[in-house]
Amino acid sequence: MQDAPELRPRAEQLSGRKLSRVRLVHDTSMFMELEPGDVLELEGVRFVVTGTEYEGRFGLSDQPKPWVKRAVAWEDGSAKIIKLVFHEEFHRMVGGFKVRCYRSPEKEARILALVRGDGRFMQGITLRDTAGNAVRVLERIRGGRMDLVLEDVARQGHQVYFQRHLRGVLSKLTGVFQAIGWLHAHGERHGDVRRDHVLADSGSGQWAWIDFDYNYDLMANPFALDLYGLGNILWFAVAGHEVTYHWLKQDHPEILERLRPEDYSPALKNRLMNLKKVYPYLPDSLNNVLLHFSAGSPVFYERVEELMAELAPAIGELPQGEDAP
Amino acid sequence: MIIWNRILATVDEHERSLDAVHYLASVLGGSDTCQVALLSVHQPPQADTIPDQEQRAQAGAMEEGLLMGRLEQARRILLEAAIPAANLSTHLIPAQGRPVAEVILEHQAGNGYGTIVLGRRGVSKTEEFLFGSVSSMVMHKARDCAVWIIS
Repeated sequence: MQDAPELRPRAEQLSGRKLSRVRLVHDTSMFMELEPGDVLELEGVRFVVTGTEYEGRFGLSDQPKPWVKRAVAWEDGSAKIIKLVFHEEFHRMVGGFKVRCYRSPEKEARILALVRGDGRFMQGITLRDTAGNAVRVLERIRGGRMDLVLEDVARQGHQVYFQRHLRGVLSKLTGVFQAIGWLHAHGERHGDVRRDHVLADSGSGQWAWIDFDYNYDLMANPFALDLYGLGNILWFAVAGHEVTYHWLKQDHPEILERLRPEDYSPALKNRLMNLKKVYPYLPDSLNNVLLHFSAGSPVFYERVEELMAELAPAIGELPQGEDAP
Repeated sequence: MIIWNRILATVDEHERSLDAVHYLASVLGGSDTCQVALLSVHQPPQADTIPDQEQRAQAGAMEEGLLMGRLEQARRILLEAAIPAANLSTHLIPAQGRPVAEVILEHQAGNGYGTIVLGRRGVSKTEEFLFGSVSSMVMHKARDCAVWIIS
């Protein structure tokens, strides 16, 4: 990291503000020390750091991610997200079970190369710094979280959502699900399938997966946790919001007495998967797909293809409605 | 071609997986007409989860050692049940990130085993949902062969 006053004019132009100092950085290992205005030079390509990214998950207050920087490309001024190498190992509770998770920059780099040009996934390249760190330079997706878009559309009431939007929403979601199946077919897992990891591009309308750097120990079915995540996304998309015990208790207490433990998710026991008990007009075929993610199911999906084989015809039974938002 | 007296029995790192082999020994004991392949499918540590090559190799070797030991225990159980050594074989196959059950079924179909024998670990429904279950997957996906699940 060395002071580089000669870079200041261009760095200030790209940052859009006065900078107290500009440093040229070739080794990003000490990412905590990076500041706005620092110029990263990776394999001869330069980027000006403009800030740090934050992660807000399901309404929790935003957390800074110091290893993820906002940046601008030196050459053309395009906005980038730069993910620096941060090896993290932690335990995550999933359905009451402790799962050892890892953050793997190399995995994300591999997937970025694999999905190059495929709009169903965030796009970017990997450049190495002088320490050999796999720095991922990502294209910023203009738009917002797909689940927030759906929540917004569903605000007009579930019957209207069902009649006018659900078919379009699920048809579009099919592409997102197939993308995960495609990853699996190439021996990769997303690793953190959740609804706020699908972004809706406001320009192209494309829904795309982000964040592939999570991984976890291999298990009997290495794809099972990704499938679990897809089930949760489907559940949310069908209802347009979260249907939980607490929501029912508050908004539809009369339904509670008709519910049984097997109607809920085996992993998240307050999550009602048998949505037909709340929305009786849902076709059986679609509800049966959801029931595969319920505690009462004798068989769970083991591959995305199995899920798709039942979801696609179920979507065909939904009212025609409009295109997805 | 499926040959019915060719049996594929699986063991894993859990000692309980030998229960299925004990059962097999009690059923087949003294028989010289069956061939039994003892199979263990494992997931070698990945570079993503253990980036250091040396540590990864060490972890992989430990796991392989444990499974080789388990396979040998299983072989001895069948030998003691008077199944001829010539009719026994052991196999250790890496799953390389694929579902273990799919690798077992591929090995079964590729080598013409007529029967698959598995122990059931007794995982909870939630565990099966989140992480998968080898015995359930084999049971649901096996074609043209018998499956014995020993609980």
